[in-house]
Amino acid sequence: MTSHSHHTKYINLEHVYGISRGDKDKILKYLNQFNELIPERLDLLNRALLLKNREQVRQIIHKMSPQLQFFGIQSISHHIHKLELDFKTMPFSELTAMVNDIILNLEQAIKEVHSTIIDLETN
Amino acid sequence: MRCVIVDDDPFIQELLKDKLLNYFPEISLEGVASNGHEGIQLIKKLNPDLVFLDVEMTDMTGFEMLAMFDELPFKIIFITSYKHYAIKAIRSNALDYLLKPFDLEELKNAISRFKKNHLDQTQNLKNTISTLKTKSNKDDLLTLKTQQGDLFIPLDDIIHIEGERNYSLIHLVNQKKELVSKTLSNLEDLLKGKGFFRCHKSFIINKSHILEESNHNYVVLSNHKEIPISRRRKDTFSNWNRNL
Repeated sequence: MTSHSHHTKYINLEHVYGISRGDKDKILKYLNQFNELIPERLDLLNRALLLKNREQVRQIIHKMSPQLQFFGIQSISHHIHKLELDFKTMPFSELTAMVNDIILNLEQAIKEVHSTIIDLETN
Repeated sequence: MRCVIVDDDPFIQELLKDKLLNYFPEISLEGVASNGHEGIQLIKKLNPDLVFLDVEMTDMTGFEMLAMFDELPFKIIFITSYKHYAIKAIRSNALDYLLKPFDLEELKNAISRFKKNHLDQTQNLKNTISTLKTKSNKDDLLTLKTQQGDLFIPLDDIIHIEGERNYSLIHLVNQKKELVSKTLSNLEDLLKGKGFFRCHKSFIINKSHILEESNHNYVVLSNHKEIPISRRRKDTFSNWNRNL
């Protein structure tokens, strides 16, 4: 059994530990899945920005959003709500700034998830 | 009770699987599909009692998937993310839905309603699909690039378009106008199959704004403008106006 004792700034693993009921393999399953799916989606987001494809940006954000909530990533929740609602009409420069901020925050979150995986695997 | 999950997000598949396993031992998860096409095959093969169905998948929406079934001998709990446009339609037709990433109490309530409710959902689903189709038509936009950035015009707002050489003047509701650097032929292509008709070399009209038609010679639109129908387009206009 593993308890929730990691100090993190970008992620909050309360839900991950809750659903896993302290089962280390299950916790690792969710953490590894985060580190597989989120970088892929960040690549897609970057590509959608380059193509100036607003609908694609919305779809990727929409798809990521539950996993980000589950990982307690609060810092970008305002951006996510705004993008989901106003993606069609907001100026493209504003959309780009928000998406870039999301990407920066999630890169930090990925690092924290990675460190947590290492901690769990070595303990 | 036998259920299947149809959702293209591996995270959601795992999460729902664990929640069912942890809290609902009476529900047996028989299979998981990662898109609408796989979902159809899986449901036909396994004939489940309950389907957890994602509203927005990459290959089709959950509603499009359901529309492929003649009968729906299973119950559905839609699963969707925050503030999805479909929630209103689902709720107004008394269907069940869960917001990702699934609050346990909401999941318990939805499953409890599923156990109690044996009413046929088919009619409610048909109503929902129809509501969403109407909404999606209304939401259609004409997207144009301009020097000031992308311009999005709801198709419903366009009354008619007037060609002026390399430019077109889009006449909108509320007496607004947009001048865009597209020829009328460009716009005709963009609007093909969306309820618009090139009735004259200088005009495209929107069917939903026609107030009256005068012997196929001209139409009066909702902005009270009379738009001529050219002689060589009369027959095509007549067919279009009748059939659309």
